[in-house]
Amino acid sequence: MRNYIVYSFFILCSVAAFMSACVNAESVKYQRYYADGSQVYKVHCQNCHMADGKGLAQLIPPLNDSTFLRTNRAKLACYIVYGLNDSIKINGIDYQFAMPAEKHLAPIDLAKVLTYITNSFGNKQGIFDVKEVDQNLNNCQ
Amino acid sequence: MKYNIKSCIPIFFVFIISACNNETKKLPILGQREPIEKIVNGKTVVDTIYQTIPNFSFMNQDSIIINNDSLSKSIYVADFFFTSCPSICPIMSKNMLSIYNKFKGNEEVKFLSHTIDPKHDTIPVLKKYATKLGVSSKQWHFLLGDKDTVYQLAKTGYMSFTAEDNKAPGGITHSGYFLLIDKEKRIRGAYDGTDETQVKQLMEDMDVLLNEYKTKN
Repeated sequence: MRNYIVYSFFILCSVAAFMSACVNAESVKYQRYYADGSQVYKVHCQNCHMADGKGLAQLIPPLNDSTFLRTNRAKLACYIVYGLNDSIKINGIDYQFAMPAEKHLAPIDLAKVLTYITNSFGNKQGIFDVKEVDQNLNNCQ
Repeated sequence: MKYNIKSCIPIFFVFIISACNNETKKLPILGQREPIEKIVNGKTVVDTIYQTIPNFSFMNQDSIIINNDSLSKSIYVADFFFTSCPSICPIMSKNMLSIYNKFKGNEEVKFLSHTIDPKHDTIPVLKKYATKLGVSSKQWHFLLGDKDTVYQLAKTGYMSFTAEDNKAPGGITHSGYFLLIDKEKRIRGAYDGTDETQVKQLMEDMDVLLNEYKTKN
């Protein structure tokens, strides 16, 4: 009986340790993506969308429309790489000026910057994995 | 009674300091200058000719001609930009907008944004840009002019820098300066339009400059 308790305790502990290591690895990856993403944002996005993500009047849209980001999640990488020429509706306002393409950004940088954007400015949508970006890029219209 | 006198001391200080500021603070006059001799009441005196903004005539977003005469009653802030500019222009527009909001409705203050991409920035494009930015054409003019004329004006008039460069984002490279021009068309200040502290300084200097005209009258 005593042995049984000791063994089960040991197994429980190791399972818990294993799981927490998993969670930590995930959250470490998220932290890394987010931190790197903020640097990519500074270089490639901040000039127009501003440090606070609020954009500029009705010329440049803000990045705080969580609903838009969620419903268009699969298109976000395409928007960055190929730019935007059509008008888009953000927070109920039509934005008509074109967004320039950022063709030189690698998928890993896109994943990082999208992780940063979708988890800043009031958004909280978790990690944007590089695999997801690769998949999305294949489906760009 | 004692209490009253003590509480007055800081107020005295404020008076002294503000009095000093009002009397002494004047903005410098920038640019080239050249001394000339002229005869006043039979005596030869030396006077200085300052660099002024050369006369220009451009169309604004409402297709109204704007020239030196239409700006004779106001001080103004000028910059050079283009609507499709992905680099420093949005932050410049944002900062210019905050200055505009401070001086909104003050007819003595105008804003001039010269497009340096006249091929793309036609009058309708400029009109749309101004409308979307939410500014009135009475105070903020987005000006369209012949490219060479505008580049020349930037270089010799405002001592600002613009050039075509295929490597730069948007195809044109330019400096992000805001230039403060007085009613006599002299340059009274140059500020980095992308730097918030310099933009704050510009707003303060505009008050100083407006004050110069108030004390003159």
